[in-house]
Amino acid sequence: MKLKIPTLFLKIFFWFWATAIATGISLLITFVFGPGRVPARWHSSLTDTARSSGMIALAELERGGVPAASSYIRRFERDTQLRACLFDLDRNPIAGQGCETFADMLFRAASSRSAQFGVRYGLVRVVLILPGSGGHDYIFATELPAGPRAAFGMDKSAVFLRFAVALSVSGFICYLLTLYLTGPILHLRQAAQQLAEGRLSTRAAIDLERRGDELGALGRDFNTMAARIEELISRQRQLILDISHELRSPLARLNVALDLARGGKAGNLPFDHMESDLVRLNETIGRLLTIARLDAPAVPMEMTTVNITDLLGRIVDDAGFEAQKRDVAVNLAAPEPCYARGNAKLLHSAIENVVRNAIRYTPAGSSVDVSIRREDQSRVLLVVRDHGSGVPEKDLKKIFQPFYRVAEARDRESGGVGLGLAIADRVIRIHGGAIRAENARPSGLQVIIEIPATDPTSVS
Amino acid sequence: MDRVLIVDDDIELCELLAARMSDEGFAIEAVHDGARGLERALSREHSLVVLDLMLPGMGGLEVLSRVRQQSPIPVLILTARGEDVDRILGLEIGADDYVSKPFNPRELIARIRAILRRTVRTTAGKHPLVVGDMRLDPAAREARIQGRPLSLTSVEFALLEMLLEHAGRIVTREELTETVLGRKLGPFDRVIDVHVSNIRKKLGTNQETERIKAIRGSGYLFVVRAEPR
Repeated sequence: MKLKIPTLFLKIFFWFWATAIATGISLLITFVFGPGRVPARWHSSLTDTARSSGMIALAELERGGVPAASSYIRRFERDTQLRACLFDLDRNPIAGQGCETFADMLFRAASSRSAQFGVRYGLVRVVLILPGSGGHDYIFATELPAGPRAAFGMDKSAVFLRFAVALSVSGFICYLLTLYLTGPILHLRQAAQQLAEGRLSTRAAIDLERRGDELGALGRDFNTMAARIEELISRQRQLILDISHELRSPLARLNVALDLARGGKAGNLPFDHMESDLVRLNETIGRLLTIARLDAPAVPMEMTTVNITDLLGRIVDDAGFEAQKRDVAVNLAAPEPCYARGNAKLLHSAIENVVRNAIRYTPAGSSVDVSIRREDQSRVLLVVRDHGSGVPEKDLKKIFQPFYRVAEARDRESGGVGLGLAIADRVIRIHGGAIRAENARPSGLQVIIEIPATDPTSVS
Repeated sequence: MDRVLIVDDDIELCELLAARMSDEGFAIEAVHDGARGLERALSREHSLVVLDLMLPGMGGLEVLSRVRQQSPIPVLILTARGEDVDRILGLEIGADDYVSKPFNPRELIARIRAILRRTVRTTAGKHPLVVGDMRLDPAAREARIQGRPLSLTSVEFALLEMLLEHAGRIVTREELTETVLGRKLGPFDRVIDVHVSNIRKKLGTNQETERIKAIRGSGYLFVVRAEPR
């Protein structure tokens, strides 16, 4: 089995490693090359330390001449790993090696005739004027260890600068890294959202697809998936259209043939039954298509601000005829206009289905109580209650499934097809709302619809 | 006898419709594809076209738009129930009304009669209507705006005539639907609104304002303005 190199893993690993290394190096560089000043309170102790070795070097010079001084300084350098040099007042080196590195400090010391302090490569450098015994003055220059305090504790602004450099270097690298990693993820997320909203032609961008790492593979997989979904949905949609066409063409012919057979006249019982069954068949096909469309919307819905109270009033008026036939009173309690954003036609059919369902199941002589109000300012609450026998508790959720039947006998009599509530459920859900049923006391079913409310001021 | 052209690929349905409608005194000619339908619709031999939008080859919408480029003949479209987009598109392109398929033949016949009543009824004795720069002559079936002739479909003509008869007053969408289309206004019925919007496009604006004003929740009004002399 071939081991696949997890490139994203390696990328993240190396990038973080590089960040850590770069941060360290930048700290080191600012530490070593950064400007340094020696605080004044250290001057006297540094002077003492430098003077003591300087005086020995001078004494060696006076005792044994240049070779003695040179051998002392060589020993000093070997023992301490620090550089030291002895000059005359004209800044000519007498003993020591690499003495030209002290040149600028030497010049200042000679012209001001005072001790000079500096920091280089993390070491303190001291240049002193030493009085020789023969009235000759000499200049002694040496490095002294200063420790981390020399780097951090000496100058607040220098410390700040170093941290700022380290922070901005590591921050910049991390920013690039984060961008590199999260950019494609955000892009994929947007694409997924668009896909979920029904824009099935959405694909991940080409430059994401071209990446060689796991994110690129994810992008390619996403595109494969999106293409597959698009194909499946368009095929399903085509199937629905084909079924619709295939079922409706014979229905259309039957309608005309029936009318032809009865000679354009009404009032023939078998023909009337046939005709009402044709109407019912057609309605059932229509509802099935509606459900299929709601499950896989092809075109974005037309959304407006809908006056739900108005809509409900019209539905109750329209249902009045059917209710009268069954000797049922429909009571409407609508104290205030309520608005919601949505598709008026779909909301109308959803609410109408619930109201007609209630009229169908409430016993003759009783009533259907419909109420609407705005709750918590954020929701429209619509309750439709009948006084029928209700629904067994365990079936309360199932009544929103297509073709669910509570009681066989009752449905036959009322001619229900069990699709109305299924449509209502889907419509309310795509409006961001919820629909549920509960049994009322002492008897009856109560269907509660909640949809997000809007203000009429946002009428477009 | 009114000659009606039916363009539908369902041959059996066309036969049944021809039989049913000949009982009602119509002469039916049926064709079963878009290209032939277009050719026959432009033959000037028919009073009305019933056009199915779902046609093989040249689609119904395409046939409709090509017919409208040359002829104001009344067109009734047949759409599958629920295909709102097709229906609205059809009306925008210039269909006069629609019937959802499957349909009740009595309803189809009633719609056809209503449209024909508006378009071929006797107009003798009707005086031309003049409102501002708009002139409509029902007897000559001619409408002009600033002297420029307007090309209106028969339903658009009838609609504009009704608005001009009541110029300055609101005509409700119910009245317009009943008089012009000969049927009741249904819920979510936008047919009249699409027709008005089509007429508006043809009329253009008068001093930056619409000539036909929509009155929210009730209907439409043809604006009468005091012309400065």
